[in-house]
Amino acid sequence: MSDNKEILISVRDVSKSYPKDRGAVQVLRKCTFDVMKNEFLVIVGPTGCGKSTLLKLIAGLEFPTSGTILLEGEPVKGPGADRGMIFQEYALLPWRTVLKNVELGFEFQGQDMDERRRQAEAMRYLEMVGLGYAANKHPVELSGGMKRRASLAMILAVRPKILLMDGAFNALDSKTKMTMHQEITNIWEVEKNTVVFVTSDLDEAVKLADRIIVLGRNGEIDAVLRNELPRPRLGSSARDIDFHHRFVAFREMVMNVIKKDAGMRTCPVA
Amino acid sequence: MSNQNGGKAAGFQGKLVDRAFNVLGVLLFLAVWQSASMLNLFGPDFSASFSPVAAFSALGEMISSGELLHHSIPSIRRVLTSLFLAIIVALPIGVLVGYFKRVEQLTYVVFQFMRMISPLAWMPIAIIIFGVGDVSVTFLLWLVAIWPLILNTSHGAGRVSPLWVNMSRTMGAGDSGILRKVIIPAAVPDMLTGLRLAVGVSWIILVPAEMLGVPDGLGYFILDTRDRFRYDQLMATIMVIGAIGYLLDSGNRWLIRKFAWKI
Repeated sequence: MSDNKEILISVRDVSKSYPKDRGAVQVLRKCTFDVMKNEFLVIVGPTGCGKSTLLKLIAGLEFPTSGTILLEGEPVKGPGADRGMIFQEYALLPWRTVLKNVELGFEFQGQDMDERRRQAEAMRYLEMVGLGYAANKHPVELSGGMKRRASLAMILAVRPKILLMDGAFNALDSKTKMTMHQEITNIWEVEKNTVVFVTSDLDEAVKLADRIIVLGRNGEIDAVLRNELPRPRLGSSARDIDFHHRFVAFREMVMNVIKKDAGMRTCPVA
Repeated sequence: MSNQNGGKAAGFQGKLVDRAFNVLGVLLFLAVWQSASMLNLFGPDFSASFSPVAAFSALGEMISSGELLHHSIPSIRRVLTSLFLAIIVALPIGVLVGYFKRVEQLTYVVFQFMRMISPLAWMPIAIIIFGVGDVSVTFLLWLVAIWPLILNTSHGAGRVSPLWVNMSRTMGAGDSGILRKVIIPAAVPDMLTGLRLAVGVSWIILVPAEMLGVPDGLGYFILDTRDRFRYDQLMATIMVIGAIGYLLDSGNRWLIRKFAWKI
């Protein structure tokens, strides 16, 4: 998928620290990497290593202490509709129905659409995440998985070039998680957008990623690993025994980088 | 099946019993009131005209003579006018105070200080500035209504999740979009709570405010009945004041049920 070598986001020597009591807490240290156009990039690492911060910097919601982030060659100056972010917590507006939440993006952008077209368009994205049947429910009536889907539809409707997903499928039950993996993969393949996905679930990372960036405890990049596993990686192909071996081997490789960072004994790669 | 039907019937009956207790409370209150006047508890001279029976017959008389409408309408008009003006001023201030921490810090002490002052204390100043009459009364009611509106609106706007704002910004929202689509709707339940409190205090302050030299209104009419020794009409007016206040509050509760979102 990422044979395309066009650089979309360029992260250069980015460090970020937050002031705290006396001194500062360093969360990112001299991070440098590129995100290619139409790439599915996954960032893994221990909690508190600055994964979420990295996404917020790309989104333009926060700014690096030092270093630069370029989007198509231009420094990121603030948030924009070209970078849709899906947050770890649900961000649905509780007073709007699911459909109305999805319409929000059209309203923000002042798109010249009549009510019916807006609804139809929003409905299309709800169907895409398999939530068409819940269009008229309020967020309070949704389960965790449904809220995730609704947030996804909400951001997708804005048609961002880049999807920034922060632990988007954490705390979902495994079946829902699997469905969401299938859906996000499909959407990514159809919409041809670029995804930067943060997670601490290695299985998830290996299933989704073109490349995996491992962030270390101290907020530095430990490794950038290319995921050579063929797609599709979900459903029937995942039951192939050879595929399974390669899947596990790659996951162990990622695991070893993380363990080494944590100062643990590493096991040999299968 | 029978269980379900039984449950439904019990639910309906339960509601009926709830209502019955509401009505029973009112009847008991009237009974105690009537007995108190029959036992001459209000003194031998007044007890007869203080009774609910006398009050209800005076009420009928006031309705047919047109006096009731003549005095109720100006009162309701004053309260609604001052509420309207209070909403126009208080909601924008409340949003600013709630959303911007610096504005909150700037205004906190002054607002907490001001809201503790009874509006009636401003009465002489109101009369010096606006003269005796409608404007002064409306001003005093306005002054009492703005504080609950400002403080509740600011509470609501302050509760806006930063997550909603961040998400909106990554969806291409500008400041005005965030204000119109996120902050204001988020504050609506608190605005309505503020409105309910504002209506309550305005209606309470109305009666003394209307004793300040206006020629009509329920507050004026209380003094008028006293001067004419018509204690039956005075009691009837008190009942009307309570009833209109109750209706205004019911209207408010309806608004809250209809427009306040819940988490």
